[in-house]
Amino acid sequence: MSETQNSIFASYEKDSKFYDEIFDEKGNVKKVYQTLFDLYSGHSSQDFAKLNEKAKASFFNQGITFQVYNDKEAKEKIFPFDLFPRIIGQKEWDVIERGVLQRSKALNHFIWDIYHDKKIIKQGIVPLDLISSSENYLHQMIGIDPPGGIYNHVSGTDLIKHSDGKYYVLEDNIRCPSGVSYVVCNRTALKRALFGVFNHYNAHSVTDYAQNLLEMMESVKPRGVDEPNCVVITPGVYNSAYYEHSYLAKAMGVELVEGRDLFVENDFVYMQTIRGPQRVDVIYRRVDDQFLDPLEFKPESMLGVPGLFSAYKNGNVCLVNAPGTGVADDKAVYTYMPQIIKYYLGEEPILNNVQTYHCSRPDDMKFVLENIDKLVIKPVDEAGGYGISIGNTLTKDEIQKVKKTIMASPRKYIAQPIMSLSVHATYIEESESFESRHVDLRTYCLLGANKDFVLKGGLTRVALKKGNLIVNSSQGGGSKDTWVLKS
Amino acid sequence: MLARVANNLFWMGRYIERAEHLARYLNVNYFSSLDAPNEKSQSRELVLHSLLFMANGPVPKDYELTEQNVFFDIGLNKDVPYSIINCVKYARENANGARDLISTELYESLNKFYHFVLNYDADFFVKKGLYDFSTQVAESTAVLRGKIRGTLLHDEVYAIIMLGVNIERATQVVRIIQSKYYDALKSQGSYGDKFSKSYEWVTLLKCIESYDMMRRYYKKTPTSISTLEFLILNRDCPRSVMNSLVQVNNHINLISRDKHPEHNSAAFLIGKTHAEYCYKTVDKIEEDVELFIEEIQDTLIEIAKKIENEYFKY
Repeated sequence: MSETQNSIFASYEKDSKFYDEIFDEKGNVKKVYQTLFDLYSGHSSQDFAKLNEKAKASFFNQGITFQVYNDKEAKEKIFPFDLFPRIIGQKEWDVIERGVLQRSKALNHFIWDIYHDKKIIKQGIVPLDLISSSENYLHQMIGIDPPGGIYNHVSGTDLIKHSDGKYYVLEDNIRCPSGVSYVVCNRTALKRALFGVFNHYNAHSVTDYAQNLLEMMESVKPRGVDEPNCVVITPGVYNSAYYEHSYLAKAMGVELVEGRDLFVENDFVYMQTIRGPQRVDVIYRRVDDQFLDPLEFKPESMLGVPGLFSAYKNGNVCLVNAPGTGVADDKAVYTYMPQIIKYYLGEEPILNNVQTYHCSRPDDMKFVLENIDKLVIKPVDEAGGYGISIGNTLTKDEIQKVKKTIMASPRKYIAQPIMSLSVHATYIEESESFESRHVDLRTYCLLGANKDFVLKGGLTRVALKKGNLIVNSSQGGGSKDTWVLKS
Repeated sequence: MLARVANNLFWMGRYIERAEHLARYLNVNYFSSLDAPNEKSQSRELVLHSLLFMANGPVPKDYELTEQNVFFDIGLNKDVPYSIINCVKYARENANGARDLISTELYESLNKFYHFVLNYDADFFVKKGLYDFSTQVAESTAVLRGKIRGTLLHDEVYAIIMLGVNIERATQVVRIIQSKYYDALKSQGSYGDKFSKSYEWVTLLKCIESYDMMRRYYKKTPTSISTLEFLILNRDCPRSVMNSLVQVNNHINLISRDKHPEHNSAAFLIGKTHAEYCYKTVDKIEEDVELFIEEIQDTLIEIAKKIENEYFKY
C-alpha cells in the first residue's frame, strides 16, 4: 500500500467474520476494484472531505431529500450518499438478474393462485393460515383478473452477501418498493463528484429504468385502449418519497396526480385538467392498498379516489401494483419461496433463502426461545426495519421481554440466524477516511404483459453506524452507486 | 395539464413576483429616503409607514412603527402572511406540487433561494442586513425569471406561470404607485414642493427599476403626469401596467384558444381591459388617480377569479 492509501484507509478494520467486498483474505485489493483503488489513491483525505461536501450540497440544492419527523417539526434531510461505489461483475450479476426475475414471476403465479383456485393450498404446499391470517389478503381481489394477468409489476428484492460469499434474499418487496430514484441520482452525483473515474469502467447505464417502467405500464393497458394514458399517483408533497414520485413522472413524461385530481364516472377514471376531464388508463400507484378507495377500503382515506376499485374490477383501469400483493411480501410467505418457485415454475431457486424459523410452529418456537441470542427476530408484516430485535445485542431483561412478545402472538414473528452482511469501504465524515461498513443490495424488477426487465444496477444501502446491520434510511442508512459491469 | 397543478404554477409565478417587488420596495424606498431633499420625505415615520402599507395595506393603529419591527415583518417574519420569507416558502410549496412539470434547473434555483431566505440571520437582517438581503432576493428572482424563460417549454405550463407573474406584477406595480401617491400627497409643503414635482416620483420610478429608462424616454425630470404615464400606459416599459396586460392577453390566448371567447370568460375580460388601455390617456387617469387605482385593482382581482374558476377547478 502506498502512503496515500494508508492515510485514507488507515481506519479500515478487517474482520474475518464478514465477507469483505474490497479486500480478499490476504488483505489485497480485489481485481475488480484495483483500478478504482489506484485512482482514489491520487486523492488526499482533504480532497475527499471536499468532494463529500460537494456531493451533499448537490443533493440538498436539488431538493433530493426526505422528511424526518421528530417531536416538533419536519426536518429536511438528504439521503447520505457514499463516494465509494459498489462494483458487481457480469457473471455475478447474471445470477442475481435471473434469480430476481424468477422470484418475481413465481410470486405473480402465487398471487394469481391465492386469489383464484388456491391450488397451492389445496395441494398442501403452503398452509391455509398463511393467507387466512394475513392482514394483507384482500377478499375484494378474489376472482379478479388484472390486465395482462400481472399483480407485482414492480418488485424490489433485497439481497445480502453472507460470510460464505453467497447472496441470500432477505425479502421481496412487492407493495410499493421505493428507492429507484436514488439509483439514478447516485450515478449522476458520482459521475459529477469523481470526475474521470467512471470512464475507467464499462458499467451499464441506469437511466433506462423510466423508459422500461413506461413500456411495462403500457403493456398492461385495459382492453380496448390503443394509446393508454399512464399516470403516477402520489399521496402528495408531504410524503417522504415525494421526490421519487415526481422524478418518475418527470422521467416518463406522464402526469403526477393526487387522489383529488381523479374522479370516477360510470366505472371509468378521469383526471381534471385545465381543459376538462381526461381519461386515465394505467395508474402507477404509490398509495397503499388501504387508502386507494374510501368506498372499498378505509372510509376515512383522503388520498384515494372513490369508485377506483370498482373501475379496476370492471377492467377499465389498471393499477400498478395490483391491490392485495402485500399478502405475498409477508415475511412468513418468504419462507416458502423455494417451494413456491418449484411449484409454479418447476425450477430450483436460483437465489438462496435465509433459514427461517416460524414462531407459529411449536418446534421452531421452542428452538427460537432457547436461542434468541443467536437469532434475529422480525415481525412478519412491518416495513422499514422497525420492530426487529437482534439477539446478540440484547440484555438479559430485553431477551425476556422479546420472549414474552413472541409468545403473545407467535404468528406475528419469525426468526432467522444473524446474517453477516458483507462489508464495503465507506467514507466516514468523522474520521475523514474510509472504514468498513455493512451493505445490502436492493434490486428492481419489472413485470408486464410479455415484458420483463431487471435494472442493471441497484441500490446498495449501507449502515453508516459502526457495526450496525440495519441499512434502512429511516434508521440512519446511506447508499452507494452500484455498477454492474458489461464484461 | 392537471387543473390542480396549473393552480400551483400560477401561484408559484405570483409569489416569486411578489417577493421581488417587496424586496425592491424595501430596499429602494428606504435608502433613497435617507438623503431625500425634503424633510418630510426623510421622515422615518413616513418611510416605515409607506413600506408597511405597500406590503399589507392600511397600517393598524396600535402597530409599533420601529425600523426593526417593520423590516422583520416584511422580510423574515414567518407569522405574517405578507412577509418575503412566506412568499418564497409558498412559491416553493407550489413548485413542489408541480415538480414533475418544471425543469430541474428551475426547481434547483428556487430551492436554493428558499434555503437562502430560510437561513438568513434575522438579527443581522434588521440591524445591518437590509441592503444585502433585499438585493439578493431581487437577484434570485431575476435568476428564476431567467430559468422560467430559458429552461421551460413555452407551452401551456409556461403560459400559466406567466399569467401568474404578470397579473401579480400589475397588482404590485399598482400597489407601489398607490403607496407613493400617498407619500407624494403627504410630503407636500416644505420648501414649496409641489405634488406634481415631488421627489417621491423619482423614488417611485426607482422602486420599479424604471428610472433610467424613463429619463431616456422623456429626457426630463419626472413629474406626476409623466411618471404615471410611463408606469401605467407605456407599452415598452417592461414593468408598466400596459405591458403586463399585453402579456396576460397573449398568454390567456395560448391557453383558451378561443377566437371569440364567451362574454363572461377570463379571456373576454382580459381582452376587454387590454383594449380599454390601448385608448386610455394619462389626463383622464390624473383627474382621479384614486379611482383609477381602485378600478384596476378590482379588475385584476376579477381576472384572477375568472382564471381560477375556468382552469383550476378540481
